[in-house]
Amino acid sequence: MSPARTRLLAGAVVCAGTLVLAGCSGSSGTSSASKDSINYALPANFTPNWILPIGTAAHLNTNNISIANTLWEPLIAYDGSTGKIAWNKAGSIAAAADFAADNKSVKITLGDRHWSDGKPITSKDVEFWFDLIKANKAQWAGYNPGKAPDNWTSFKADDDTHFTITFDKAYSPQWMLANELSLINPLPQHVWDKGTPKATWTYLNNAAKNIGGYATNPLWKTISGPYRVKSFSTAGKVVLTANKKYDGGEKPGIPTVNLLPFTTADAEKNALRSGTVDYGYIEATDLDQKDSFTARGYEVKPWSGWAITYMPYNFNNPAMGAVFKQLYARQAVQRSIDQTTLAKVVFNGTAVPGYGPVPQAQSSDFLSSTQKDNPYPFSTSAAKSLLTSHGWAEQGGVMTCTDSAKCGEGVAKGTKFEMTVLSQSGSTVTDNMMSAIQSSLAKTGIKFSIKTAPVNSVLSQTPQCTASQSICKWQLSFFGTAGSWYFNAFPTGDSLFQTKGGSNFGNYSDPAVDKLITASTTSSSNQAVQEYSAALAKDLPVIWLPEPDYQISVMKNGLGGFSQDSLANFHPAQWKWTS
Amino acid sequence: MTAVLQTAPVEAVPNYRVSLRKFTRNKLAVAGLAVVLLFLLFCFVGPLLHSTDQTHTDLGQVNLAPGGAHWLGTDAVGHDELGRLMYGGKVSLLVGLAAGILATVIGTLWGAAAGYAGGWVDAVMMRVVDAGIAIPALFILLVVSAITTPDTAGLILVLGLVSWLVPSRLVRAETLTLKSRDYVLTLRATGGTHTRAITRHILPNSVSTIVVAATFQVADAILLVAYVSYLGLGVQPPKTDWGGMLSAGLTAAYSGRWWLIVPPGLAIILVVCAFNAIGDGLRDAFDVRGRG
Repeated sequence: MSPARTRLLAGAVVCAGTLVLAGCSGSSGTSSASKDSINYALPANFTPNWILPIGTAAHLNTNNISIANTLWEPLIAYDGSTGKIAWNKAGSIAAAADFAADNKSVKITLGDRHWSDGKPITSKDVEFWFDLIKANKAQWAGYNPGKAPDNWTSFKADDDTHFTITFDKAYSPQWMLANELSLINPLPQHVWDKGTPKATWTYLNNAAKNIGGYATNPLWKTISGPYRVKSFSTAGKVVLTANKKYDGGEKPGIPTVNLLPFTTADAEKNALRSGTVDYGYIEATDLDQKDSFTARGYEVKPWSGWAITYMPYNFNNPAMGAVFKQLYARQAVQRSIDQTTLAKVVFNGTAVPGYGPVPQAQSSDFLSSTQKDNPYPFSTSAAKSLLTSHGWAEQGGVMTCTDSAKCGEGVAKGTKFEMTVLSQSGSTVTDNMMSAIQSSLAKTGIKFSIKTAPVNSVLSQTPQCTASQSICKWQLSFFGTAGSWYFNAFPTGDSLFQTKGGSNFGNYSDPAVDKLITASTTSSSNQAVQEYSAALAKDLPVIWLPEPDYQISVMKNGLGGFSQDSLANFHPAQWKWTS
Repeated sequence: MTAVLQTAPVEAVPNYRVSLRKFTRNKLAVAGLAVVLLFLLFCFVGPLLHSTDQTHTDLGQVNLAPGGAHWLGTDAVGHDELGRLMYGGKVSLLVGLAAGILATVIGTLWGAAAGYAGGWVDAVMMRVVDAGIAIPALFILLVVSAITTPDTAGLILVLGLVSWLVPSRLVRAETLTLKSRDYVLTLRATGGTHTRAITRHILPNSVSTIVVAATFQVADAILLVAYVSYLGLGVQPPKTDWGGMLSAGLTAAYSGRWWLIVPPGLAIILVVCAFNAIGDGLRDAFDVRGRG
């Protein structure tokens, strides 16, 4: 055998062996942590790349936000870090928020807090953020037309520690606190101000683009949070060290926090096995290895997310849009999906069935009984009946419209119930779920083809569109391996399901639902959200799917003193070595 | 008186017989051929004997260990693993064989044309080959897979189009030596066309090189399709291939579910090694050195 072929054969054997054992992946190669430090694994394939506590679309990521919030504390930390979704005052700059009786304004009281350079944190620092966002709202990732800052009509500093924000109309205080005021980060005006908001915006964004300067640029050294940056590599490793000047309520429990990047989940898992990660994660399919991690001194703890998971229909798709617009067709699809079994078998028990627009992994006052009770239980025979009673007949294993009058408006005779999903690649659980759904839909007579692509590709290929656009060929989209949509604390659907909402990918539109969504943000009662929950559980704007845990956390024994935030943020200051 | 030395007439043995004899004496090559034939039977005839549903999932039968009802157990969505191995093998072998042959055909035509034309045509054509070789095939495959929906025909086409470069070099080198042979020069001197020179003399005389290259191309194509599928960009469910099965089973590596990993991994190794052994055997068989 020639040397070249021998090498090839050897390569084949080695490669196959490698495939069998691990796959090719990178790791960060760090050493094990001591009690003065902790090694935290960032999600696979994520590299921290933004320090500024003002997100732009190109840098929008919950992990970037988590890092920024450890450096500059939010005005109102409304999250799940205390075990329930609520205002965590210990991690906030504000001490109180008093809404006017008419719910058209709020008076905020700041705590007695100081920047790391000793200067007090005042209303001026909040006003600085307010002006910066007002002037540059189009570039701000948190912007939704009509919402903050559009609906904040004025900012009035009453004194150094009190200010009032006035709204354009009455809003639900809980919604305003949870979804809008929680976006504010007081910023060190005395250091960052460059004259005008526009000039300041450009200056800060340009400075933030230099990742290599995060640890050295004096701009980033005036902070209000419990940690400061010790090092921040362009490869993604971030080392945070305790801010000794911190005077807030969440004193760092561990002096040094190492945030480690990983190229793949397998690489991270290998690091866990080798003991170099103190707080990491495994995939749902690895849950049956729980004992092996427990034996290595870890605790396996699911991290539940405040999220929903779904597959949007493209209602404007030229081929299938007319079918998707028929409620009976959507009901047939939903009734073909056995969420209970998917959650139990495919997700290994790390997901809960989701039947509507309000997260169901946690109990909440927002969930309607209609959604909770599942209006469309799994039954392929019922799904089949729905189709046959509306003019469809099975031909060659695929339902075909035989009576266009019964099939519904725009559905031509001869239309086959065939649809394709562009699904997120890289997850065995997602692949298995899609295979199971494909199989289940086939029993109803619905052909479901699967195409996979990396998640960014899925998002870019399944945008909002009109039927005449060439990009509108997509029919179904799935980008929810770890949950499709993470809510702010108050789970409104203004950007998801409101007509022309920013993330209403499939162009769902229902004036009645629009009214319910508007009511949910303005009413001071949770009844409005419950009505919205019930309406969308029944109307099926998307295919509702099981809600997976955000991650299956694996923590070293002795790490504790905190709750995993269901809003998917991490809060290093709350971590403690308890033993 | 002159003594006349008389010798017994020697019967000429046809070249193909000599080659066949040499091939059959190569135990590794024969074993390789047997392995390939066995796998072809396993994948294409096996499903007739062991019929399984590879289209629908069965979530009540997931991850079952090998046993009576399922000789190789079941996978994470309840497919019978033995049936899946046959089903996936069909795709792997079909794509490997077809892509290998396609690559060889393209490479042969390109290499023969370049070598025969010579001069600047040869220079330009071979620089194209050099440029193609400089770009990793896997990279091209990943890009193509990311922008199109991979199916069996698409995979064959793409793999064939990225794998023809090496055979083209081999055939070009062979053509360069053949085109200066007397019989080719005579054909040209008597008015024979270039096409006739290539199709009647150069290609037939390069057949040993082409056949050997083809076997290696098939082996390489099977590996390439395994790579692509392993990365999740191969054929889409409910179809699968051995690389896809390996990828799907990888998460079970630490869960003791060896039946999801070992069979497809072993199948890839055996078939690739078998094709390489056949290629080596054929090369030795066609080698004129050492022939009496």
